Amino acid sequence: MSIHIILFGRLADIAGSSVSLDNVADTDGLVRALHSTYPALAESKYVIAVNKQVITSNTSLDENSVVALLPPYSGG
Amino acid sequence: MKERKPKNFFVQGPIAASFIAESIQDHSSRTGIGAHSIFLGQVRADRIDDKEVESIEYTAYEEMALDKMHAIREDMFAKYDLACMHVYHSLGNVRTGEISLFVFTSAAHRRAAIDACQEIVERVKSELPVWGKELFGDQSFQWKANQ
Repeated sequence: MSIHIILFGRLADIAGSSVSLDNVADTDGLVRALHSTYPALAESKYVIAVNKQVITSNTSLDENSVVALLPPYSGG
Repeated sequence: MKERKPKNFFVQGPIAASFIAESIQDHSSRTGIGAHSIFLGQVRADRIDDKEVESIEYTAYEEMALDKMHAIREDMFAKYDLACMHVYHSLGNVRTGEISLFVFTSAAHRRAAIDACQEIVERVKSELPVWGKELFGDQSFQWKANQ
């Protein structure tokens, strides 16, 4: 199962604007895998959205999940 | 409550003063309106060390921002006695001195228009997944941070 992740703002400078990961079942696993590949992400502040909803606890993922990593907003 | 498809409120590049004027003019037939409130966000030439911001490059998670804006709109109509509200936000490059955010609320009386406008601006800045990259004249940049 491959999970598609989109990244924005300064996070896209670190890892590119999209990343695909295999063998991740939930968001905790996804974060561990991403931080090990991109250590600078571990130093960054961000929230995770699954299917456009910001999550606050570990969330299981399936192949249709759209995962987005969102750094602090700075619109306006 | 009727279901509405989220409207695209993003504008490519700066928001023109003429567009703002036309938006006001468009409400002249709505004679139940007694008050408009408008907020305009302008790109500021911040100085960082010895460099000055020349423009901001805006990007967004557009699908999520449209959903969020739709939710803000529903909250505002539930909370305030508004006749209408319009929000426009720039994407892409906006130079210093140009407008990147236009919030426009209308109501029968001033209190609802003013209070809703202020609340929308705060929510746009804190809840919409939009990012500004501040570009300096020497090709360097920094990511904008909202205060």
